[in-house]
Amino acid sequence: MQLKRRSFFKLAAVGAATAISTPRSALAWQSKAPADAFGCLMDISRCIGCRKCEQACNAVNELPLPVRPFDDLSVFDEKRRPDATKFTVVNRYHSGRVDDDKGLPVADFVKIQCMHCQDPACVSACITGAMSKKSNGAVHYDADKCIGCRYCMVACPFEIPAYEYHNPLTPKVMKCTLCETLLSEQNKPPACATICPTEAITFGKRSTLLKLAKKRLHDNPGRYVDHVYGEKEVGGTSWLYLSNVPFAKLGFLKLPLKPLPRLPETLQHSLFSYLWSPALLFTLLGGVMYRNHKQQTLQHPEQPGDVS
Amino acid sequence: MIQQLFRLKIALLVVLSIMLMVQPSLAAIETVAAQNDDVVWTAPGQEKARQRAQQIIPMVDKVKEEGPIRRSQRLHATELSIKDAKNTYFLLDSPFIKAQEDHYGPVRFNHGQHAAASGDCSICHHLRPADNSSYIGDSNHPETVRCSACHQQAFHPDYPERLGLKAAYHQSCTPCHQQQNKGPVTCSGCHLNKVPEHKQLVKLPEKPDALQVTAECLRCHEDEANDMLHTAHWQWRGPSGHTQDHSREIRHGKGTTALNNY
Ligand code: SF4
Ligand code: SF4
Ligand code: SF4
Repeated sequence: MQLKRRSFFKLAAVGAATAISTPRSALAWQSKAPADAFGCLMDISRCIGCRKCEQACNAVNELPLPVRPFDDLSVFDEKRRPDATKFTVVNRYHSGRVDDDKGLPVADFVKIQCMHCQDPACVSACITGAMSKKSNGAVHYDADKCIGCRYCMVACPFEIPAYEYHNPLTPKVMKCTLCETLLSEQNKPPACATICPTEAITFGKRSTLLKLAKKRLHDNPGRYVDHVYGEKEVGGTSWLYLSNVPFAKLGFLKLPLKPLPRLPETLQHSLFSYLWSPALLFTLLGGVMYRNHKQQTLQHPEQPGDVS
Repeated sequence: MIQQLFRLKIALLVVLSIMLMVQPSLAAIETVAAQNDDVVWTAPGQEKARQRAQQIIPMVDKVKEEGPIRRSQRLHATELSIKDAKNTYFLLDSPFIKAQEDHYGPVRFNHGQHAAASGDCSICHHLRPADNSSYIGDSNHPETVRCSACHQQAFHPDYPERLGLKAAYHQSCTPCHQQQNKGPVTCSGCHLNKVPEHKQLVKLPEKPDALQVTAECLRCHEDEANDMLHTAHWQWRGPSGHTQDHSREIRHGKGTTALNNY
């Protein structure tokens, strides 16, 4: 590379000028969170660990039946994760809570599934637009656009999307759909919320659910931990949680309150905010290459053996 | 002597009441049989309970705001008691729940038994309508409107904090059964599974004998048969401490000499 000090500085100056002249609005990160999203509020203090939600989810999504039936509660002996054959699982935790009357340890149950983040990292990571956040709140997966790169799986802070590794021909990314077809076609709540016998899952507009969660906190002093998980975590999620036990004891991650797509997207956007910025870059690089090539040709005149 | 007379009186009363109970239903069966050969016997009161379960009453909009203690005291002061309950037997089979899912048969709920055991109506009738207008005509008393007067469809957009009927049942029944150590706490303890129509399933010869019938049941219900072998119904050898007045007399149970022991 024959790039001289002076030419390098010239180039650097052009680059700096480009960066400075880029309007601030293109740099500022904009949340695309839908204002009127639906969601679910999961009240852990109400969940009795019956696994009916898992069963209803399995049926409505036509997933394969598990080896151990849904009324087999021995599955709670180990912690499970959602995978390509189950979009939601309920796990049991023993936080040290003891029954006042009987003196026995009391179990708490936590249902996990895709949180349908308001500004989802999976959507931001997806390079083909196969993952998208709908205005109804659902984070939608479009198998036709998916190229199987699995960036969404890496990006998701909750480690939710799973991949059909067993399916060699048409593998898909699998995750909770928020039952959006039930919602859009039949105006029905998600199957897991409908089946739940104790209304541990309340379905509604996210804004209503947030108000409801705060009302429950206010009306039942001492019952809950004073926190609505998902209100602010990673910029907010469509699934919200109330708990009577500290969230950290129930396997909930402590996550940043800023949306995760913010940093990488800001970087990308400042680089590609205008079409001409890559064009300019390539023109400059082309110019450098041309000059180098010319200099090299001058220094090494063609060798006679090359001509045939 | 007096005791014997007393027993005789009781026995007579029992026979009489059974006759009274059976007679109307026998009459009903005869009329049905006249039109239809497939007679299905139902207990008296069952049909009425079924009809009651289907009723939908207008939703109570506002409830009276008062604490649970105040409410309990006020309810006691009204001198409402179990005698004021119009119906003892209920089927919990509301269209509000059926509209969303239909996995179980109706739950049979003995209101009288629950009222007598708790002795405090406010345990279940925990709130009342703010005014008297919205319930009249349905319930005996504004203080004790039925559950579905307030708890109807789940996730009602206008009443987001109100539980749907299904959750209202589960959230009050289950914890109470657990705390009191009384009553069922598992799903099948209250819910009958939906039983498929057996007419097509059962295959029997023209005039089957008893053993053929049992064998046909066992064709599908082998697990149930094995379970039954471990229950008192099979192993009962008497005497039973729970058989009033006969605790020392009955010597033959299924496990020994009782008939029909196949
Ligand atoms: S939980 Fe994961 S998969 Fe679901 S929307 Fe958020 S980032 Fe995407
Ligand atoms: S919303 Fe639908 S897909 Fe998601 S966990 Fe519930 S039932 Fe399953
Ligand atoms: S159906 Fe409801 S109560 Fe049962 S495990 Fe799921 S969330 Fe918990």
